[in-house]
Amino acid sequence: MEQRADSPDDPSGTDAGPAFAHVSEAEFARILDYYQVPWQYEPHTFPILWNLAGDVLESFSPDFFLPDADLYVELTTLRQKLVRKKNRKLRRLRELYPELRIKLFYARDFRALMLKYGRLVLADELSGTAGHITPSRTAASMLAGPFGAARLASEAGQGDGSSATSDPAGRDGPGDAVVSPVHHRRRRRGAARRAATVGASPSA
Amino acid sequence: MNPPVDLQSDVAEVLVSEDQIQAKVRELGARISADYAGRQLTLVSVLKGSLPFMADLMRSITVPVRIDLMEVSSYGGSSTESSGLVRILKDLSASIADEEVLLVEDIIDTGLTLNYLVRYLRGKNPASLRICTLLDKPARRLVEIQVDYTGFTIDDRFVVGYGLDFGEFYRNLRYVGVLRPEVYSTPPADAADAEPADQEPAAGQA
Repeated sequence: MEQRADSPDDPSGTDAGPAFAHVSEAEFARILDYYQVPWQYEPHTFPILWNLAGDVLESFSPDFFLPDADLYVELTTLRQKLVRKKNRKLRRLRELYPELRIKLFYARDFRALMLKYGRLVLADELSGTAGHITPSRTAASMLAGPFGAARLASEAGQGDGSSATSDPAGRDGPGDAVVSPVHHRRRRRGAARRAATVGASPSA
Repeated sequence: MNPPVDLQSDVAEVLVSEDQIQAKVRELGARISADYAGRQLTLVSVLKGSLPFMADLMRSITVPVRIDLMEVSSYGGSSTESSGLVRILKDLSASIADEEVLLVEDIIDTGLTLNYLVRYLRGKNPASLRICTLLDKPARRLVEIQVDYTGFTIDDRFVVGYGLDFGEFYRNLRYVGVLRPEVYSTPPADAADAEPADQEPAAGQA
């Protein structure tokens, strides 16, 4: 497993937060933030195909990792008939890394999630659009959100609201926190620690 | 002006009938009564969806019960939300410290709200905290939580009735039904399904 370099997360160079590849990912991150569930965006890349020389030909980077749940989440807004390629990669990932817990959110799942939260208009908008968002929008609308500090606390092992004795509703502090470059570096160190435990390549 | 909601014809299928619900409520009530025999119990219901279940369940429990109600905000994606965090809209009316607490839910799907509530309630130092849900939709689970009493495990379908709503309606149906998709969906666009993450990747990249 590889740890992602810094650059894909921050094409703007400001390190203000992850540049989501798709609007659905940004929306999903907002939902997780809302419910104070720690997350990381594409923290790990898993090689899934090598040539005879051992070079990685294909890899898979699940969109989200939820450290408290030890769960990877891959989102797709593709229609069901178009997700065969992603399904194949996911099967391969599960074969090579059976210890990984990963959930694929199909378009219908994301649509149901949006329906649950009264955001069906957004789900409809995503169908038929490329769904790009810009890094600036990401920084402004997503990472100005409140959960950055909680994520930091989680990574630093200082309690993150997931503790069985915490009182999330009573927490006033993180309300205006912004994810800082320090937060991201700490998150990546956490990813590196995890990488060390999983191993670099199952074929090695 | 929108046409009025047609409670019956908007439902494509009855998933759990009224009789099935009532039988299950009696069964759960008996189990809970046995598990808490000799003790008293505080039932905490989460507004609004679990109200009918709570009302029926409490009458099926034979040990002494107190009830309390909570309401939490739901994600709406609005940029006008002041904090961007889930909020307690209605808190408990009495302390649950050292009390045996049973959290009563209508449905668990992602587990996000329940996860938040469990953390919140545990912070109130109850003697014990268990979870009872009428419906469990595990296919959509994001946060795993131990559920102690489950009525029905259902497939990943959009259900209404017996407290469950769409647009605040359908709660008063006496059964749990599957809403016809055309009630809540609009025709999807045909063009350009592709998203960047699913385009052919370069070698070595997802």
